[in-house]
Amino acid sequence: MANSETEQAKYLDAAKEVVKREAFNMQRALDKGQLMDGLRHATEMLNELRTSILMPKSYYELYMMVTMELTHLNMYMSGEFIKENKIADLYELVQHAGNIVPRLYLLITVGVVYIKSQECSRKDILQDLVEMCRGVQHPLRGLFLRNFLLTSTRDVLPDIDDNIVDSGTIDDSIDFILLNFSEMNKLWVRMQHQGHSRDRTKREQERLELKILVGTNLERLSRLEGVTVSKYQNHVLPAILKQLINCKDSIAQEYLMDCIIQVFPDEFHLKTLDTFLDTCCQPQGTVNVRNIIISIIGRLSNYAQADPSNIPEDIELFQIFSGKVTQIIQSRTEMPPEDILALQSALIKLALNVYPSETGYVDKVLENTCNIFNEERSRAKGCSAELSRMLRVPIDHYGDILTIIQLEHFTQLFGFLEYKSRKELCVYLAENVIQTETHIDSHDQVDLFLTMISCLVTDQADQSAEPEDPEDFEIEQSLVGRLVHQLTSGIPDQQFLILNTCKKHLLTGGDKRIQYTLPSLIFRAIQLCRVYHDLAAEDEKWEKKVTKILMYINSLLSTLVKAEYWDLALRLFLQAALVCDMVGIQSAETAGYEFVSQAFAIYEEEVSDSKAQLIAISLIVATFERTINFSEENHEPLRSQCLRASSKLLKKPDQCRAVSLCAHLYWSGKNREMAG
Amino acid sequence: SIIDCRLKAVVSTQSTGVVKQYESYAGRNCRLRYFLRVAVSRRLVDIVHERELMVHQLSSYPETNSSLKMEVGIEDCLHIEFEYNRSKYHLNDVIVGKIYFILVRIKIKHMELSIIKRETTGSGPNTYNENEQISRYEIMDGAPVRGESIPIRLFLSAYDLTPTMKDVNKKFSVRYYLNLVLVDEEDRRYFKQQEITLWRKSPTSLKPENRGVVALENHT
Repeated sequence: MANSETEQAKYLDAAKEVVKREAFNMQRALDKGQLMDGLRHATEMLNELRTSILMPKSYYELYMMVTMELTHLNMYMSGEFIKENKIADLYELVQHAGNIVPRLYLLITVGVVYIKSQECSRKDILQDLVEMCRGVQHPLRGLFLRNFLLTSTRDVLPDIDDNIVDSGTIDDSIDFILLNFSEMNKLWVRMQHQGHSRDRTKREQERLELKILVGTNLERLSRLEGVTVSKYQNHVLPAILKQLINCKDSIAQEYLMDCIIQVFPDEFHLKTLDTFLDTCCQPQGTVNVRNIIISIIGRLSNYAQADPSNIPEDIELFQIFSGKVTQIIQSRTEMPPEDILALQSALIKLALNVYPSETGYVDKVLENTCNIFNEERSRAKGCSAELSRMLRVPIDHYGDILTIIQLEHFTQLFGFLEYKSRKELCVYLAENVIQTETHIDSHDQVDLFLTMISCLVTDQADQSAEPEDPEDFEIEQSLVGRLVHQLTSGIPDQQFLILNTCKKHLLTGGDKRIQYTLPSLIFRAIQLCRVYHDLAAEDEKWEKKVTKILMYINSLLSTLVKAEYWDLALRLFLQAALVCDMVGIQSAETAGYEFVSQAFAIYEEEVSDSKAQLIAISLIVATFERTINFSEENHEPLRSQCLRASSKLLKKPDQCRAVSLCAHLYWSGKNREMAG
Repeated sequence: SIIDCRLKAVVSTQSTGVVKQYESYAGRNCRLRYFLRVAVSRRLVDIVHERELMVHQLSSYPETNSSLKMEVGIEDCLHIEFEYNRSKYHLNDVIVGKIYFILVRIKIKHMELSIIKRETTGSGPNTYNENEQISRYEIMDGAPVRGESIPIRLFLSAYDLTPTMKDVNKKFSVRYYLNLVLVDEEDRRYFKQQEITLWRKSPTSLKPENRGVVALENHT
């Protein structure tokens, strides 16, 4: 067999030359009414199709050229010839040809004319043609010959709405096509085992080039009007599936199962879903059922979405598929995780698209996935990318983190991801919350949510020991900081619970994280104080609550101090002091005093740079000046402290500036006694 | 002067009672002719004219005509079962049958069915067999697998055949054989020969009262 491309092209061109010449001669003979000469040239032309040299692609080109020329012969026979001669005689005459390939092409050509002449039973002629084709056992030549049979008889197969009686029924057409299909499939599968094992890839490639020849039979079946749901269920599908199972060839099974899904209408698939899926489940070597299952789930999903009434009441699509998928995964222990997850993703999409209200379905899929991986941890190896992809499906669809939180098994699946993927997913979730401006307003949900994104919140066991890129880290943690603002409820009591929950989680973050995360929390706490203060009339316990909040703030600030975030703590103490002042209750004043003192403590002990000192003291003074509710008892020591600190500044100019600022403390002297 | 005589004669075998029991035959090594010789006796030179007559032996459907069915093969290599619907065929008949593959361990390229004509002349130590391949009809292209059944339909009217003749006038025989040949990828040939009997059926257009009328052939 000529292998190189140039050699192929050379042989093909030579063959095409012959075809062109003989076709011309044939046409000329037919124009003169000389049928015998015409047939002789036709035979010469058809002899080119006996070649063993051409590869499928080239053979196809030659085949197309030859069969197009045969239409002229067909036209002659249907026109001139049939007026004066019996077509039956011609049917016999062409069988005198010595070589089988030309003989059968001619026989089919005459056969079609014979059928149209209605001189003989359609069924008999079709039966004869499909049987006689057995003579060509060479896979490539046989496939094309039978394809010619199928395409030639396209318009003459008995169907329900033609008016020709007593010459063949729809069942005969079905049998005809099914037989042609089986024989073609046999030939196609046979190609797999020809030749050397080293050429296997090339052979498989060639087989794939030819797959459409086999698939056309199924397509033709689907075009028959008379193939109703019940005929499909009882006659057509069982025959096709039987052939698929018996041939034991994975290329055939994969392609043809998919073909079935594509060519037959969705209502047929609904009726035969069990049978079809059972065939998929049969353990048969290396067939990749994944794509088949995903294909059919996708199609029926679209069908259901197009019109929900399409799915009959008694067909629980989700249950059926869920059950079958589980069965398949369990029976194929070698199935790689990507395939398992692809199947589960398809189920999730089915649930989301067709049964949007049933979040339980989605959770069921997640639960099953957990179980599968739990049973055998090794199955989950290396699947992080696919698992992330799968988990993003419901996130994108629901777009609403609250629903995600309801899915019990969602977080459990996180355990199977690698650290990096897990973190990426957490970031994805966090960004989702922020972008959609979702408010998570119950502390239980907040708890669940923070557990979910624990990757961001706290160090993980499987985190690598290397320090992370500081920029990335900062961006991440700022995200968490921003997130805190979404964890909010309009109900103050609830908000306090939320704040507690947050504190519990965020404190596990360690010193590196709290500089980003705690400030948000503190500000929210401060905000809450204001809220309570505003609602004083409605809540008699508000003072107690505010006190609690202030203690809460204090504890957070102590943590920051311990972690040595001096500047941050200083400023936050001052902020807190302001709110204490605003609230105006006794306990708040004490707290406020404490906060300012703490600020001073930090100032005196930790702020050493002179420039920083000036800024800090100015800040303290300014803040303090804003306060209006300190009693003289408290105000006085603090004022003096301010003054003392100011005068102790290093540079004289700084001293002056600071002291003059302090002057404001003295002259306005806002305190409680003075009532502003 | 030369007298031109044109003789036109229709000869009826029934009236003359000449028995023609054999069929006219023109083969490679022998011929069987019937001819009418008219001789006009004259003083010096006789005028002799000969006209050849073609005689066909017509038969009717044989009483028994069993099919030919046999399983043949080479151990561990190739087992087939061939079936031809009859053992006796008339000259415009069709050989209908099939080849069923029981075991295939060789790489078959194609399969053909040939008609072989064997003309036997002479007798005893001088017997001479002449084989002629009348036709080569390809019945299968490519390699089958176990369980395949290949149909045969061979129209005898396409070929120039005579009826089977056995020991005509103790001088010659003409016998026919079907030769089934399988050719493998290395061009090795595996064959099975089977004799068939050919007979001549009366043409449907021949009216009963005209049976025995012999067509005159213009020889000159």
